Amino acid sequence: MSSQPQIAIDKVAHVYRPPRGRPVLALEEISLQVQQREFVALLGPSGCGKSTLLYLIGGFLPVEKGSITVNGEPVKAPGPDRGIVFQHFALFPWKTVRDNILYGLERKTMPRAEREEQAQHFIDLVGLGGFEDSYPSQLSGGMKQRTALARTLAFDPSILLMDEPFGALDAQTRHLMQAELLSIWQRTPKTVIFVTHDVQEAVYLADRVAVMSARPGRIKTIVDTKFDKKDAGIFKSKGFVEKVDELWNLVRDEAIKAERRAP
Amino acid sequence: MARTDALTLDHAALLEGPAPSLARKLLWGFARVFSILALIVAWEGLARSGAFTPFVLPSLSSVIERIWSDAISGELAINTGLTVYRALVGFLISMVGGVLIGVAMSRNAIANWFFDPIVSVGFPMPKIAFLPVVILWLGVYDVAKITIIVVDAIFPVIAATLIAIRSVERELIWSARNMGANDRELMWQIVLPAAAPQVLTGLQVALPLSMIVAVVAEMLMGGYGLGGAMMTASRFADSRGVFAGIVEIAIVGYVLIKAMSILRRRLLIWHQEANEPTTA
Repeated sequence: MSSQPQIAIDKVAHVYRPPRGRPVLALEEISLQVQQREFVALLGPSGCGKSTLLYLIGGFLPVEKGSITVNGEPVKAPGPDRGIVFQHFALFPWKTVRDNILYGLERKTMPRAEREEQAQHFIDLVGLGGFEDSYPSQLSGGMKQRTALARTLAFDPSILLMDEPFGALDAQTRHLMQAELLSIWQRTPKTVIFVTHDVQEAVYLADRVAVMSARPGRIKTIVDTKFDKKDAGIFKSKGFVEKVDELWNLVRDEAIKAERRAP
Repeated sequence: MARTDALTLDHAALLEGPAPSLARKLLWGFARVFSILALIVAWEGLARSGAFTPFVLPSLSSVIERIWSDAISGELAINTGLTVYRALVGFLISMVGGVLIGVAMSRNAIANWFFDPIVSVGFPMPKIAFLPVVILWLGVYDVAKITIIVVDAIFPVIAATLIAIRSVERELIWSARNMGANDRELMWQIVLPAAAPQVLTGLQVALPLSMIVAVVAEMLMGGYGLGGAMMTASRFADSRGVFAGIVEIAIVGYVLIKAMSILRRRLLIWHQEANEPTTA
């Protein structure tokens, strides 16, 4: 592992100010370092601010306290070096699958033919061949998320920010997508930060899992979850089951707290 | 990678089911226009029964005869053409102006501060009340008539545009930003297309409104046009002329609305609603 982290989050706090009502301290004293090519999951109960942290790294929300640097540069605005994938896909519904994927490539200086080729490559990579000219409204949830993933991969960010990307999918599709994401990640040199509240998903996908506490969000602990992901029987292996159990115990207290506090 | 959740099309023919028979189609076509047919038959029947004098209720056939003779003399084309021209010019000005004001209000705090109270007060108020003012300022010709149409039809466009832009998902905008879109690209390539369905709904309210105000303005200001012709007919106790005007206005209005809904389907081919059955 390289010595300098690719993403360095240092004592970041964030206050959420709703249009009405009192400001809420969403994040408090968050520090986290992510190495190049590492797969880190942010795990925590809903409302703990894990998505907020992702948006801060993405540059979609301003960093008001503390600092976030990517490759040594402080984050100021969204950039194509950090590609985001949202839970609800955020596809442009008036564009076809192909045009959605081409949108991120339009701003790159490359000939048109090469752009088309690039788009087709990623359409094939996520298994959407034959649906290039479909509109998002004609696709299933799984296919929409494949499109969103292809769109983000196509502009070649070195960091993937994934905001509960499989949370809106049914259990079977989610399973398939997890395996496919892993296989894509193993073939492309990308750093991934993956927000989820699914313990098993976090253990299966990530190298390290950062467990977050209920609001105000803090990183409670970081657990190492490296496994041989190619092992088909991983879900039944003793080590895996124990890890899931360990993390579930850590998350449960926070989930109960979040539940009690919820209005 | 396998296409694991793709739809297979092997049984497409099976899924389509049997094609509806001709008799079924005809019956369904008839059912859709039944209420209109009933109204026509009732009108003709009542007029011929002798219960009313032809002055109070001229028969539909005599009214159609009248429309035909107007068509041959060229009167019909002039009146219809003028009314449609005024309504459409007023509508187009409302469309461009309404979208521009709506966009300005969503982008700019000063524009919002200025226009918001005007829209709040102006939208629910009957703008036709401004007609005497418009007459004083602009006279009774096309400029005055089109002005009062714009004053009325621009409000639903502003309101729809404003709401549409405000409800564009944050994630869509972030995605575009992520892919390097600048402010101008964001507006033209993302915000306006995303807002299009709701803006079109506003336009679908503004179009019949333009037509209504065009006819009312013509009635009150006089001159050529369907509304003016009806008032003239009424003054000369020409009841067939009055009823001819009503039939013409109904047909013109229907054609305009239908054209608009076809245009909507064309423009929103990507939208969920394009896959759903229509009511219009």
